[in-house]
Amino acid sequence: MTNASSEPHVAFKAISKSFGEQQVIPPLDLEINRGEFIVLVGPSGCGKTTTLRMLAGLETVTSGTIEISGKDITDTRAGARDCAMVFQNYALYPHMSVRDNIGYAMKVHGADQSEIDKRVSEAATLLGLDPYLDRKPKNLSGGQRQRVAIGRALVRKPQVFLFDEPLSNLDAKLRVEMRTEIKLLQKRLGTTAVYVTHDQIEAMTMADRVVVMQAGKIEQVAAPITLYEEPANRFVANFIGSPAMNFFDVAIRDGAVHLGDQKLPLPAETAARVGAREKVIMGLRPEHMNGGDHPAELHVQCQTLEPLGAHTLVLGEVAGTKMVAQVAPRFPAQAGETCTVLADMAHVHFFDPDTELRI
Amino acid sequence: MPSAASNDRIKHLFLWPAFLVVLLVTLFPLIYALVVSFQAVRLVPPTPARFVGFDNYAEIIQSARFWGSVQVTAVIVFTSVAFQFVLGFALALALHHNVPGATLYRVTFLLPMFLAPVCVALIARMLFHPVLGPVNDLFTALGFEHVPFLTNSTLAISTLIIVEVWQWTPFVILLMLAGLQGLPSEVFEAARVDNISAWRRFRDLTFPMLLPLSIAVIFIRLIEGFKLIDTVFVLTGGGPGTSTETLTLFAYNEGFKKFNIGMTSALSFLFLIVVIVFGTLYLAAAQRLTKRYR
Repeated sequence: MTNASSEPHVAFKAISKSFGEQQVIPPLDLEINRGEFIVLVGPSGCGKTTTLRMLAGLETVTSGTIEISGKDITDTRAGARDCAMVFQNYALYPHMSVRDNIGYAMKVHGADQSEIDKRVSEAATLLGLDPYLDRKPKNLSGGQRQRVAIGRALVRKPQVFLFDEPLSNLDAKLRVEMRTEIKLLQKRLGTTAVYVTHDQIEAMTMADRVVVMQAGKIEQVAAPITLYEEPANRFVANFIGSPAMNFFDVAIRDGAVHLGDQKLPLPAETAARVGAREKVIMGLRPEHMNGGDHPAELHVQCQTLEPLGAHTLVLGEVAGTKMVAQVAPRFPAQAGETCTVLADMAHVHFFDPDTELRI
Repeated sequence: MPSAASNDRIKHLFLWPAFLVVLLVTLFPLIYALVVSFQAVRLVPPTPARFVGFDNYAEIIQSARFWGSVQVTAVIVFTSVAFQFVLGFALALALHHNVPGATLYRVTFLLPMFLAPVCVALIARMLFHPVLGPVNDLFTALGFEHVPFLTNSTLAISTLIIVEVWQWTPFVILLMLAGLQGLPSEVFEAARVDNISAWRRFRDLTFPMLLPLSIAVIFIRLIEGFKLIDTVFVLTGGGPGTSTETLTLFAYNEGFKKFNIGMTSALSFLFLIVVIVFGTLYLAAAQRLTKRYR
């Protein structure tokens, strides 16, 4: 017997998807470990939902194979894959009570009534649904409905949980609560989970590893903090982090960045790694403009200030490029005037202008 | 700016014509018919109207021909609507699941509904002709020669049911298909992921979710079915004897063959009462049924 923990639980092997002539997902490889919480994130239409639906068996695969626990399930029908899915619109059975919704699949598969009752009541307690067991879905709030959908998924004790933007229809406050709940629940059950969202904060807060996708392609697969600290390319750098990273066209000469007529000295090791370049894209996060280990003065034509309490956002221009800086609450700046922020040059990123890959 | 008072007067100006039209074309004939139903009125030979109280009603209720026509109507309507619903729902499901050539089927399946019932009846009369019809040819090939489709009372009723089913199944298809397309697809995807078989998906999800629509469709078909006259008129004329005479045809024969207007009006009102009572009972039963699923 092979060691189950070392092999990936779910593996996409060169799977692609075309709708007619249109290829929406070019061959894609991805391995998901047992018990891992993987989040697929990307802008609308990047193919993340299609990828999830292919894993669920709701969408056919054009080429390549999908494996769960080493077994090829590419052509297995949806019901035989032992996955459970939670949908954006909850997809509850409208004419069934909460109790029946959660227990329905077990009942159809001939489970004992006592076993069904036990698991339904366990799930209901876990999700705080006890008072609502006899209500119909239309008499529940959005958050409660989504909990029922999650309950329906977890009583089946599946191999893999699939979440298709489950929190998109909830209001902001509930979304924050639910994402913690889902994450804790998944950790407690230890079930492999694949979660699709377009919200980078959801991705960063919930995932063990995040898969950033664009136009059907995987841009980077990494732990949330790695994505933030070492984005593979300009797309990932721009997509992860809020407010988004600032990008400047610069030159590097004599160990310093030349941005317009300003000169920002680089730490020696960065300068040595990147070398002299006449054309390069510099990425600097707004939160890295408030001093640090290697500060350099950057003069900003300040256009407007957004005081947020904990910090203030300076929106302005440097050498004709729009930028945002996140500075101290009482930062001395005036709209319409030039101010000076301290760029932390130890945290700058450089991207190749042609390939957009991180240098 | 016009005052509120002048607005009020103008309001009446706009309301009255519509009200008068309704009064003239709906209420007046209804009330007139009700009055006539309590009178003995004959057009041929013309006899002056004479008040007879409930005599017309009593006479109808005592007539075997009336009860015969009630029975014929009930048999045709209930049997044909049952077939229409089952067949129509099945075909709608097939079309919904995009069987090959669904677009072509969708159009052809709906065609019978667009034909005038009289045309349908004329076509059917030709089809079921005991000597010349293609159906007869088929049965002859199978060893049954000259089957009296329209002259044997049991066969004639069966033929009428077949024609009704042929013409009105498309109506059920159309409405059930619209209903199916309005169902949320995620619910069925969730069931597929949960390994629920196609039959259980239909039994536990599709059917209950479409139950309110089904009740409405069956109701419309039943009410429409009760008014069946043209097909019967052309195909069998109510014969042999009065064995296929429906309520409406009975009323027509009383009114336009015997010109017994008082009797016909009473019959129409009885018919109306039957439909109202039946409709109320049906909807009450339906409501109890859907309550379980709401």
